[in-house]
Amino acid sequence: MIDNRTELAPAQSRLTLRVNGAACEIAAPPSTRLLQVIREFIGLTGTKRSCEIGRCGACMVLVDGEPVNACLAMAYQVQGAEITTIEGIASGTELHPVQRAFLEEGGFQCGYCTPGMVLSVKALLDRSPDPSDEEVEEALSGNLCRCTGYGGIRRAVRRAIELGR
Amino acid sequence: MAMERHERFSLPKVWKPRNVGEAWSLKRSFGSDAEYVAGGTLLRTWWEGEVAERPAHLIDIRSLPLLAGIRIAEEGGTGIGACTTLAEIRRSCGLAAEYPALPEAVLQIGAYSIRNVGTIGGNVASGIGDALPALLVYDAELLWFDGSEERIAISEWLERPEDCRRDRGKLLMQVRLPDRANAVETPTGGGNAPFSVYRKVGRREAFTPSVATVAISAGRTEDGRLERVRIAAGGGAAVPHRLYAAESLLEGKTPDPDLLPLIHEAVEETFRPKGDVFAGEEYRKRTAANLVAAELWKLSAGRQGKE
Repeated sequence: MIDNRTELAPAQSRLTLRVNGAACEIAAPPSTRLLQVIREFIGLTGTKRSCEIGRCGACMVLVDGEPVNACLAMAYQVQGAEITTIEGIASGTELHPVQRAFLEEGGFQCGYCTPGMVLSVKALLDRSPDPSDEEVEEALSGNLCRCTGYGGIRRAVRRAIELGR
Repeated sequence: MAMERHERFSLPKVWKPRNVGEAWSLKRSFGSDAEYVAGGTLLRTWWEGEVAERPAHLIDIRSLPLLAGIRIAEEGGTGIGACTTLAEIRRSCGLAAEYPALPEAVLQIGAYSIRNVGTIGGNVASGIGDALPALLVYDAELLWFDGSEERIAISEWLERPEDCRRDRGKLLMQVRLPDRANAVETPTGGGNAPFSVYRKVGRREAFTPSVATVAISAGRTEDGRLERVRIAAGGGAAVPHRLYAAESLLEGKTPDPDLLPLIHEAVEETFRPKGDVFAGEEYRKRTAANLVAAELWKLSAGRQGKE
């Protein structure tokens, strides 16, 4: 087998992607975590840092519309992707219906898990506007809340479904 | 904290080989300083948990064409590229119809967002992934690249622990599932349709490491006897394996409730789990045996219900 290594060079520190609709070009090393790219390179701090191993969902963002833990994804894995963070879902001063539902139904207390919750629910309702309870549970299985309790969060999801009708 | 400490000073370089040969050559050159990475979800937990050292080089295998997608193989059966995400497997109607225990297993791995990124290749190559019992009962084969292509039955590969070591440089390309003759399973598993099932028990309802996993598959003869019976178990840090003694008790028999105590005993005697501080070996053996017996009881009840 020929050693091809000399023909290849490691990936460069240039990341191009769209964040909340805006094109970004960032000099981030390719194995930087997406979470760090979003919070430190771009300065959007609504994406929360917590467990850092994909267990809690506080850093959930949408990559091309699908929920992904930003602490797990590395910059090179989202090259060219469309990223949506919690800052990108309201229309001007008008909250997104999922945000409104969490607010109206008391779907949060401390609020640390809420951006991730909201994005997981948004992705769910975008692909399945009238989901079953099982679908809701599956969609939120990677988002942990340690203070509100899931009753309020379930109510918020139900309310978001109604608002979307 | 952890992030600053590790990442600022020693971020791995990322290599993007254009074909399998290049990927393999990179790994050969760097040895244990490099890791093949697709989704990287499991590797990240190992690095952060200091189970494995984060390597200096990551070899990105996601864009290698042979490793992508689910396709019908030329010789029959289905080939699943190693970089197929768990979400893609979960959504595949073809897999759900012919190999339903596999999407069922995958649904119970990680959480929704993890399955969007994590791949079947990583789950298999870990040697302990929860998809393995399902693949074992379908007689899956693994297609590796080690300078040339190598094909090996998954049961045989799992019995060779030295082959599970990631620093060896072999690259997993595909998981091959053999054709299941007339194998479109009905949701109730009724009639003479082949039967397969997967169960996992963890310490929580969802998004939890497994305590025990079991999978069962069997064909059925016209008079309702089970044939080509496969039973496998795993979970936690156990290397999943077939339970041959339990299989042979069922082979050629109708799923009769009177057989269940014997099968339960055979599972408890032959399953080799790995205990930890949360769940010891005896508990895991009992759990696996209960799962197998419960699924066979349901199968027998379904059959009786139809008579």
